[in-house]
Amino acid sequence: MRELCGEAIEAAAASGAAYTDVRALVRRSQYVATKNGRVEVLQDVESEGIGVRVLVDGAWGFASNRDLTLKGARDAAARATAFARAAAGRGNRRLVPVEARNGSHRTAFERDPFAVSLADKVALCLRAEEAMQQPDVRVTSAFVRALREQKFLLTSDGVEVDQETVECGGGIDATAVGDATVQIRSYPSATVGSSAQAGWEHVERLDLPGEGGRVGEEAAALLRADPCPAERTTIVLDCDQMASQVHESVGHPTELDRVYGTEAAYAGTSFLHPGDLDTLRYGSPLMNVTADATTPGGLGTFAYDDEGVAATREPIVAEGVLRGFISSRETAARLGRGRGGSMRADGWSRMPLVRMTNLHLEPGEGTLEDLLADVDHGLYLETNKSWSIDDKRLNFQFGTQIAWEIERGRRTRMLRDAVYTGITPAFWGSLDAVAGTEAWTLSGLTNCGKGQPGQTAHVSHGTAPARFRDVEVGVKP
Amino acid sequence: MIDGLELAERALAAVDGEEAEVIVHAESSALARFAASEVHQPTLVENASVQIRVIRDGASGWASTNRLSDDGLAAAARRAAEAAASATADPDFAGLAEPQPLPDVDGFDPDTSSLGADEQARLAHGAIDGTNGLPAYGYFTSGVTTIAIASTTGLRAEQRMTDASALVLAGTDDRSGFADATAWRVGDLDCRAVGREAGEKAARTADAAELAPGHYRAVLEPYALAELLTYFAVDSLGGLGLIEGRSYLAGRLGERLFDPKVSIVDDALDGRGLPKRFDFEGTPKRPVPLVEEGVARGVVWDRLTAARARDSQTSTGHASPPDYRLWGPQPLALRLEPGEAESAEELCELVGDGIYVTRLHYLSVVDPHEGVVTGMTRDGTFRIRDGRPAEPLVNLRFTTSIPELLRDVPGLGRELKLVNQQAFYDDRYPFGVLCPALATGAFAVTGVGGGPGL
Repeated sequence: MRELCGEAIEAAAASGAAYTDVRALVRRSQYVATKNGRVEVLQDVESEGIGVRVLVDGAWGFASNRDLTLKGARDAAARATAFARAAAGRGNRRLVPVEARNGSHRTAFERDPFAVSLADKVALCLRAEEAMQQPDVRVTSAFVRALREQKFLLTSDGVEVDQETVECGGGIDATAVGDATVQIRSYPSATVGSSAQAGWEHVERLDLPGEGGRVGEEAAALLRADPCPAERTTIVLDCDQMASQVHESVGHPTELDRVYGTEAAYAGTSFLHPGDLDTLRYGSPLMNVTADATTPGGLGTFAYDDEGVAATREPIVAEGVLRGFISSRETAARLGRGRGGSMRADGWSRMPLVRMTNLHLEPGEGTLEDLLADVDHGLYLETNKSWSIDDKRLNFQFGTQIAWEIERGRRTRMLRDAVYTGITPAFWGSLDAVAGTEAWTLSGLTNCGKGQPGQTAHVSHGTAPARFRDVEVGVKP
Repeated sequence: MIDGLELAERALAAVDGEEAEVIVHAESSALARFAASEVHQPTLVENASVQIRVIRDGASGWASTNRLSDDGLAAAARRAAEAAASATADPDFAGLAEPQPLPDVDGFDPDTSSLGADEQARLAHGAIDGTNGLPAYGYFTSGVTTIAIASTTGLRAEQRMTDASALVLAGTDDRSGFADATAWRVGDLDCRAVGREAGEKAARTADAAELAPGHYRAVLEPYALAELLTYFAVDSLGGLGLIEGRSYLAGRLGERLFDPKVSIVDDALDGRGLPKRFDFEGTPKRPVPLVEEGVARGVVWDRLTAARARDSQTSTGHASPPDYRLWGPQPLALRLEPGEAESAEELCELVGDGIYVTRLHYLSVVDPHEGVVTGMTRDGTFRIRDGRPAEPLVNLRFTTSIPELLRDVPGLGRELKLVNQQAFYDDRYPFGVLCPALATGAFAVTGVGGGPGL
């Protein structure tokens, strides 16, 4: 790997690149999915290649090649520099300097997920499905996944990093079908379950079969639940929904490339401006959000990002005030503050982008029950079901799989089809309680889309249940 | 350029005497992404992957690799066999597809295939220069995709296809407009015109007004309509959604569900789209009527869901790429048949009082069974008053039922537009929706967002 990356650096320099970073990757993944007692997917995927990013006369170029040979490395470097020249712009791109250094990172784990047999993975999924069986549940499904990525990064300014990350995770769903409605319950979250940078012990701790009974029962019960009424009320969100809320309304708007408009055509921009730093009130004083690429088990944990910046833990929002952006060396240089550290690429064939690493809502005090106890009338909402937010990350609408009415501090009847809406700073301004460390949970998402060509990032969010006052629930008209 | 069938044959030979299927998916592409009128993320991709599926006693195991040496293919074949040995037999497994005659289609253009960095950059700059001075955000992309399938049934199928797209958002802090164009022949693209359309649209969006939530009549440009149809199709127009009860069409086939002016077909043979010869099981493509004059006629199927339907259903040639099989068969060549309206202005006359929507943002399915989606409008939302486009509007949140939207259709445009629907995640596979602009009597606005602009 070192030799290949060095070859690309030399070739790029010979073609006039002022800066080059090269990533050589070997990725292997397994995905096992069952549905209604049958194996739907049993897949073992490997992919390898090299990605070369160059800065030539102030213009970026990036080329990738699956061919992990010296020739493949030279070819990618030559094509990257040619594309940079052809697409030259104003030529004024600057990068915050990094210190030359060698580094490495290995995910710590107890049990290699690739040492667990595929047959055992299938059996686990089928056991979880069995636990979800209910008369009204028409579809049950379960999945587990594992990923190992070996990545070697070499930059022309002297960073040399060897990293190997291991991830695994899983999830279950039960879909109940009635005459007039279809309802789904999932654990630990919808669509992508939850993953961690960890060994198979993470999947065992999820205890998918152990949660299956509750998931199936709730899916069936939702068929008979009343629809959630439309009203302005107090809501308490569970950890899963809080992870989505943090992701969409804090993570993406604080990405500095969006602030500068470079995602405008696709993912959108941000309501934030560079001058908002240290002045903009994002939420109530209880709101503390931290970007932390060092979190044990986080999917966004590394030693160095994809342009050679060492991992750190930095405040994004402190006591409700905007204190930081998620940035790259280029956007940090443009801002005149920070040093980057959040550049991540999806595999070898994509250019690094400004991405969330692990973004956490810091815990407050008390338990979920303490949060509910201080609600005279409201709703407790669990597990994200739908999500949408505008291009500036202001107007959002989230739906959850299940809701409970809260009356005089206690959960009462189950409700279905709950949706709430808000405007980002006003919503976070209505935050009046965050549960404490005991309730704080790390959720790992593997479906964060951004960029063109599209890239999918793996991101973790640590959150605790939180309470918001005077929120619009339901859809009008 | 990779020889897809030769590679597929080599991979199939690496499988040791078992029932097997090989899919080769190769890509050579460039995407020159620009922001503030400057190319900032130019990406070149060269890749070829081989997916091997081994069948053992009715159980399937998949493995894929992009290590194309004999050793790499042999290792992938071993992993596929191990996967098959770990799986359980599916009683509805209908066997691998037998060889069938494949249709000849357009879809490959040598000029598009041979575009080099200089030409791709020139085309990107053409789109940028078209905005009449407004900052441009978007991309030009072109690529060659090869799909080849070989199996132990003797099936051999191969297609090489090209695609090219230009997409432009022209905008400043207080205004923005959008346009895109896609074709399998780069010569059919006018990148400068894409930039011009976006720029002209943006110029009309300054000083946008808010709008009270409510039910509105609306004109949807093809960009907006294509995305709604794509989201509706995921749950409602595929066999899996029908079997599992998520589809809006479940229990409603044969009923008039939509306006008689609405006819929808999935037609991968249409040369105006992005033509395909076969699906990812090697089954030939053919036109599949989904809605005829408002009556729900059917959904699309692959071999497995057709067998599970247990009603003599057969595959319609809509097996998804291997990584997307969990979503079931999907119609990736939708065409909403055109109407009579000569222009969007004529559709505005039909609407009388309502809103005009150019493009949507961040859709999410709220209720799959009822076809309810939420999202935002952006980059060109206007009021329609007295049958004419009027003042610009801020971005609107909608939470609307697509079936209701299609149930009351005062008119459709005469001109079909191909709207790209691939976001270039994972391996490149060009697909889009052919549709006209549409006037509807039912578009539910449920909130307001920020103004147009960046």
